[in-house]
Amino acid sequence: MVAAVEVIEVSKKYGYLWALKSLTVRIDKGELVAFLGPNGAGKTTLMKIVATHVSPSSGTVKIFGQDAFKNGGQIRKRIGFVTHEGFLYDELTVEENLLFYARLFSVNQQNFDNIIEFLNLKRWCMVPVKRLSYGLRKRADIVRALVHNPDLILLDELFAGLDEETCSLLVDYFRNQQAKAVLVSSHSIEWAKKLCDRGILLDKGEIVQDTQF
Amino acid sequence: MGFFSTALRIAEKDLKAEFRRAYEVLSILIFSVSSILICSLAWGGALAGRAEVAAAALWIILFFASVLTFTTSFTREVDRGTFGGLKTLPCPPSAILLGKILYAIVLLFLVELVLLLSSMVFLNLSLSEVFLELLLVFFLGMVNLSVAGSFVSGLVMFSEGKTLLLSFLLFPICMPVLVPSVLATEKIVKGLSMVNIMPELRLLLAFLFSITAIGALTFKFILEEA
Repeated sequence: MVAAVEVIEVSKKYGYLWALKSLTVRIDKGELVAFLGPNGAGKTTLMKIVATHVSPSSGTVKIFGQDAFKNGGQIRKRIGFVTHEGFLYDELTVEENLLFYARLFSVNQQNFDNIIEFLNLKRWCMVPVKRLSYGLRKRADIVRALVHNPDLILLDELFAGLDEETCSLLVDYFRNQQAKAVLVSSHSIEWAKKLCDRGILLDKGEIVQDTQF
Repeated sequence: MGFFSTALRIAEKDLKAEFRRAYEVLSILIFSVSSILICSLAWGGALAGRAEVAAAALWIILFFASVLTFTTSFTREVDRGTFGGLKTLPCPPSAILLGKILYAIVLLFLVELVLLLSSMVFLNLSLSEVFLELLLVFFLGMVNLSVAGSFVSGLVMFSEGKTLLLSFLLFPICMPVLVPSVLATEKIVKGLSMVNIMPELRLLLAFLFSITAIGALTFKFILEEA
């Protein structure tokens, strides 16, 4: 079976600092995997490399069997990426932001409406993003990442700044995504265990532990 | 979604966000009009017979207005963290660059119109008979500035001191645009025909093809290395 993500001997160097050191990991379709570790462990760098946002200094990344950096455009159609920064524009309303991304991913209206409904964003659709609280903004950004129904979902610090109710809602949602691969980076072991089946502990850019929860 | 429709969507999104902020577009327009006013106060009616000074003044103002536009093109996306969103899009990097170029073209065209109209009023330049020719030169020069400026803005977006770097880089890179544009404007204001400005137009077109090719070929590396 073709793996959802195959990271083979990947290293990333920022100046003199190694963010990732010869890291190899395979994640299959249907797996929910948490990347855990302290600040600077390399979780976000790994996420960015898998999302094709940052190219590795060495090594290969394959997404659904294709080289991630040779077929970037095609592969990005199948990836949904949420970061702690959020990718929404302050001046635009929630709906305008989501429509911008939805149209570029050629999303059908039904999928767009469903995901907005699911995360209870309907009443906030006409509000400019700059007026939203951090939690609502994050929810809108999660919708942005899921609007095109991606097969690989990357969630960098998903639970940071979200209330218990939203965290539970998201855990239920992602656990029901049977055929998708979900990668989460988190500081919260508690929520990571609720969401994921497998945990990979990183430290100083290397895998320290790889366990089933 | 196709290459051009992606670029159009990106430009549309940028323009919508820009006009919602309004104060930045207004500050660029106010800068242009107040510069013309200052020139008018300093030179009075003497400019009517000094085509070379009028041409230089108009292009200096347009160049500085374009610097103000490009400092907010890519750099704001990076500063606010929204640039990552553009990198998630399933499109070639050059579509993102084209979107930013189209956004700059619309903004600078607005500045250009205000600049030409206010120079007719405040500098007493009689441009009504040559307005279309002048608009053609300004449009071509402005498209060149937009392509070069957007490319440089992308080039420096991850650097420290990017605003300063942009101003420093933009001037030498835009010299092949500014020189023929000023010369062509001067000739038109003097009342010379289109045939006389063909060498300048050719230079502008040649620069446009060169900078577009450089941008299209190299922009993906700028995105990937960030």
